[in-house]
Amino acid sequence: MENYTKYRLKEIDELAPFLAETDKIFVVACNKCFKEFETVDEPDCGEFVKLAEAQGKTVTGSVQVDFLCNKTQTEKKLKDLIPEGTKSVFVVSCGLGVQTIASMVDLPVYAAANSLNYRGHHGMALTKKSCDACAQCYLNMTGGVCPIVDCAKSLVNGQCGGAKNGKCEVDPNKDCAWEKINKRLSQQGRLGELKSQPVQLRDYSKINFKVINDYVQSIRESRFAGYYGGVHPSEKKELCENEPLLRFPESDIMVIPLSQHSGAPAKPVVQVGDYVKVGQVIGEPAAFISAYIHSSVSGKVLAIEERVHPATRGGLSVVIENDRKYVVDESVKPKGDLSTLSKEDIVNIVKEAGIAGMGGAGFPTSVKLTPGKPIEAVLLNGCECEPMLTADHKLLLHYADDVIYGLKAVMKAVEAPKGIIVIEDNKPDAVELLKSKCEAYDDIEVTVAKTKYPQGAEKMLIKRVLGRMVPSGGLPADVGAVVCNVSTVKAISDAIQKGMPLIERVVSVTGERIKKPGNYLVRIGTNVKEVIDYCGGITGGDDYIVKMGGPMMGIQLPSVDVAVIKGTNGIIAIEKDESEAVACIKCGRCVDVCPMELSPLYFAKYHDEENWQGMKDKNVMDCMECRCCEYICSSKIPLLSKIKAGKAAVRGMK
Amino acid sequence: MLITELKSRETIEALLTGKVFIINCHGCKEVHFPEKEAEALQKELTGRGIVTGIMTTDYICNPENMKLRLKKHMSEIAMADMVLVFSCGVGVQTVAEYLENKKVCAACDTYPLPGYQGVTPLEHKCDQCGECFLNITGGICPLTACSKSLVNGQCGGAKAGKCEVDPDMECGWERIYRRLKQVGRLDVLKCPVQIRNYATDKEV
Amino acid sequence: MKLSEKFSRGELVVTTEVGPPKGFHVEPMVEEAKEYLSNITAVNVTDNQSSVMRLGSLATCVALKNAGLNPIYQLTCRDRNRMALESDLLSAAMFGIENILCLTGDHTKLGDHPGAKPVFDLDSVSLLYTVGQLEKGVDLGGNELVGEPPKFCKGAVVSPCSDSIDAQLAKMERKVMAGAQYFQTQAVFEPDKFIAFMDKAKQFGVPVQLGVIIPKSVGMCRYLNANVAGVHVPDELIDELKADKEKTKAGITGVEITARLIKQCLPYCQGVHIMAQGWESKVPDILKLAGL
Repeated sequence: MENYTKYRLKEIDELAPFLAETDKIFVVACNKCFKEFETVDEPDCGEFVKLAEAQGKTVTGSVQVDFLCNKTQTEKKLKDLIPEGTKSVFVVSCGLGVQTIASMVDLPVYAAANSLNYRGHHGMALTKKSCDACAQCYLNMTGGVCPIVDCAKSLVNGQCGGAKNGKCEVDPNKDCAWEKINKRLSQQGRLGELKSQPVQLRDYSKINFKVINDYVQSIRESRFAGYYGGVHPSEKKELCENEPLLRFPESDIMVIPLSQHSGAPAKPVVQVGDYVKVGQVIGEPAAFISAYIHSSVSGKVLAIEERVHPATRGGLSVVIENDRKYVVDESVKPKGDLSTLSKEDIVNIVKEAGIAGMGGAGFPTSVKLTPGKPIEAVLLNGCECEPMLTADHKLLLHYADDVIYGLKAVMKAVEAPKGIIVIEDNKPDAVELLKSKCEAYDDIEVTVAKTKYPQGAEKMLIKRVLGRMVPSGGLPADVGAVVCNVSTVKAISDAIQKGMPLIERVVSVTGERIKKPGNYLVRIGTNVKEVIDYCGGITGGDDYIVKMGGPMMGIQLPSVDVAVIKGTNGIIAIEKDESEAVACIKCGRCVDVCPMELSPLYFAKYHDEENWQGMKDKNVMDCMECRCCEYICSSKIPLLSKIKAGKAAVRGMK
Repeated sequence: MLITELKSRETIEALLTGKVFIINCHGCKEVHFPEKEAEALQKELTGRGIVTGIMTTDYICNPENMKLRLKKHMSEIAMADMVLVFSCGVGVQTVAEYLENKKVCAACDTYPLPGYQGVTPLEHKCDQCGECFLNITGGICPLTACSKSLVNGQCGGAKAGKCEVDPDMECGWERIYRRLKQVGRLDVLKCPVQIRNYATDKEV
Repeated sequence: MKLSEKFSRGELVVTTEVGPPKGFHVEPMVEEAKEYLSNITAVNVTDNQSSVMRLGSLATCVALKNAGLNPIYQLTCRDRNRMALESDLLSAAMFGIENILCLTGDHTKLGDHPGAKPVFDLDSVSLLYTVGQLEKGVDLGGNELVGEPPKFCKGAVVSPCSDSIDAQLAKMERKVMAGAQYFQTQAVFEPDKFIAFMDKAKQFGVPVQLGVIIPKSVGMCRYLNANVAGVHVPDELIDELKADKEKTKAGITGVEITARLIKQCLPYCQGVHIMAQGWESKVPDILKLAGL
């Protein structure tokens, strides 16, 4: 692959005069970008140190940094690193890195390298230069061959007289651009189009750096809004955000997995042949981190057996024949007024209702409600930052009062003085509704967050709303926060007000390949294939995938013959991407989007080298698997699976 | 990491011939891609019945993946008289090179972006001059911080420390002077006369 | 006198060219031009030819004009942006220069200042257009000129023996569209190619002057073949130069070849442009031998 290394060390005679003037040098070197990620130890830093020492200079220290121009991260990495007594800093990088350092330190900063000069920007995964960003694209009249970059003189009105044997006068190895243009156009029978073009005059005022700089400023602000990194995938909410919330006609056979939460699977407490009712316990927690499982219908237990699990967790499922009578279990009755319930009561109700995080992670909520630390605020995640999904949005619109009730219950359980409902600005109707409903409460407020993925991730939400960073390996409670999904607190409300455990949820059935997308109230255990078929099935050929959850964090289903579980906020059928992973080119985008400020490119490299210690050292365990890195990867490297493998290996190291 | 902006409506209309296949590249969307405008336009074209297919993908500048992804659209492309690409100039050329017998048109203009790393536009600029001047300017680039890219000091146009080209912009050489003074390096201003070498753009 | 007047009368236009010196002492060159080129319709003055820095083309044009010759002011786009070019065109008008030749210019890297910034703000086509705008009394910024606008006879170049002849014809057409009133061609050594080219070029209805270089030596021909775009000296001509070394050295062979080429091509074009390259003294002989 072509090497786009951005800089080359200056020659000694170029550096000598500057070295002569100073001593006690600190060296900062950039690990380069746009080159194949072959080594984590670029040689230039060492070369320069050697060179400076050969000139009799003292080097007070050196550091090699990834993407030096990424100021946010560079500032952190360089903090307190330059030793006392250092007189100057030499930067081995392109001009961007040098300027970044120069803007950060109060010492004389010198460039130890020259930026390499090449014409034209090069896109992301490109191996040749081809666009000069002239702001007046000429490709339409030139058959897609760029006259600005490909012609040595950037001529826009045709060939000069310098071409010889179809080669450029400046470089006989280079094809004459206008020769290529004429060939391409005549091949397409479009020469006439070119001839009839008016005289082309370049307008150099099109590139107005003031406008561009202002624009850049605004982009930077939006990129850093709330927290570092994140991405803005196409929302595609329009596929079903205007579809009403309907009840899904239940399946005849319900398959209820005993593992729908993180932690240990539940123990079955019914037997084949038993008659079970709606809301009846069919599985009990098997450990501290586990959860109750209830029947979502009434009918006979047909089997307790291994079934394909949607999240490939495996384990047993209780198969129930739905008698369609929906006989409600005797245990289902209102639990009394919130004011009369103690915090322990609430935790118990939540536990017995089998409530686990409904945003997808499935962490048993009762555990969350016993943080053991003072809690300042309960954050209610109504962001639904995942593209396509509208389940939480629908839930907010239909069950606003229940959501507020549930929030109140959580606040009481964790003794939080404040509740904050966070909704992204792409759901203005929900924002307005909740705001008006919350006016009655002094201790509840609604925060509108700018749409950015993964806003709904606990740590991001806390950073965005409270401006606090959950420490590495820590929990929200460490910074005085508890985060719940809006669906989860709606379930809490049902558990208290109706006594109904978690047996159904709102599911968005969507994606560009679902014929009739919609939002449904679906009972846990319903067959996914039936849901998809009810929505008109899949359109087009077999080049699609079905995910449970959204396109970003959703899990690709091993089969559609699986059950809807507590964490199923969406069932989506989307186009399959036909791309293939290519080598990492250190474009730096994964580092730029990782909201946890990690360096995912190292995870890919270390995974392939089975360097689990390296993975651990790069804090792979802090990764929350939001998939931003994989989404943005210009080489289409399946980063998430590599990270998951790495995390498993690191866990095994302990 | 380029900024793309939709060409004017008239310009795009003038390009249209017969049936159209559309390609959207979202690879650099985190910087800028006129997603909404492009979508509106494409919806209208679809309404007119002239669109044979739309592919929305990322990094079409990676020719191999672009080809893989185009595979299932080849019949739609065959039906089209032209391919309209919504991407930076790099993407358009990659497609044009691959579909060399098709009329391939750019629906966007491409603007330069300060910095070229990652998806975050940078506050600093580097012109890749190949002969870094930062050593004599206290780490402020005279090529990008000065409207005239002067390398031998301030011109006579600065007024109240502002650039003659843009009164909102600080004079680059004013900043350079300040910085040099701050770090006690005003002596470098006595360096030899600087003459730019424009022949550093060897192939890399 | 404007070349266009002569062309329009159907008269044969014969031009040649001189290169300004590297220095400001222009007298020897002017003297030589007076001696050998006085009967020529007009004399091109090159503009930092081959990207080698020399005395300015406009100043040299003025010197020739003062000496009674009819200069053609060559302008390239390599060294000046649109403002400088427009301004120099106005200067030329002030000095009474009537004929110009618009070129893109060689790249700076090819000359004696390879580190210089190549400008190419305009190119040959847009330069022709620019002249046309000035003639209408407006500059490229859309501002009106004060007083009577200038009026030039605008020429351009074309490479008829180029290996990319289609691209050249396409460009020629654009030059015509942009206002070119006559063309001078790159040096022709292959009459067949030139005739074939003219067969296509005549559709534009713009007079074309056959360009010729006097082949001075075998070495020169080899150099042209190896390095100069659009020029190819066939082996037969090189053999002819090889045949009688003395005759070639005396310049007689070169003169004969040149005159023969002119004779062969003349029926197909409207004039001749002789690039003497220092052999200005041979020009009268060539013209005589060619029967002009």
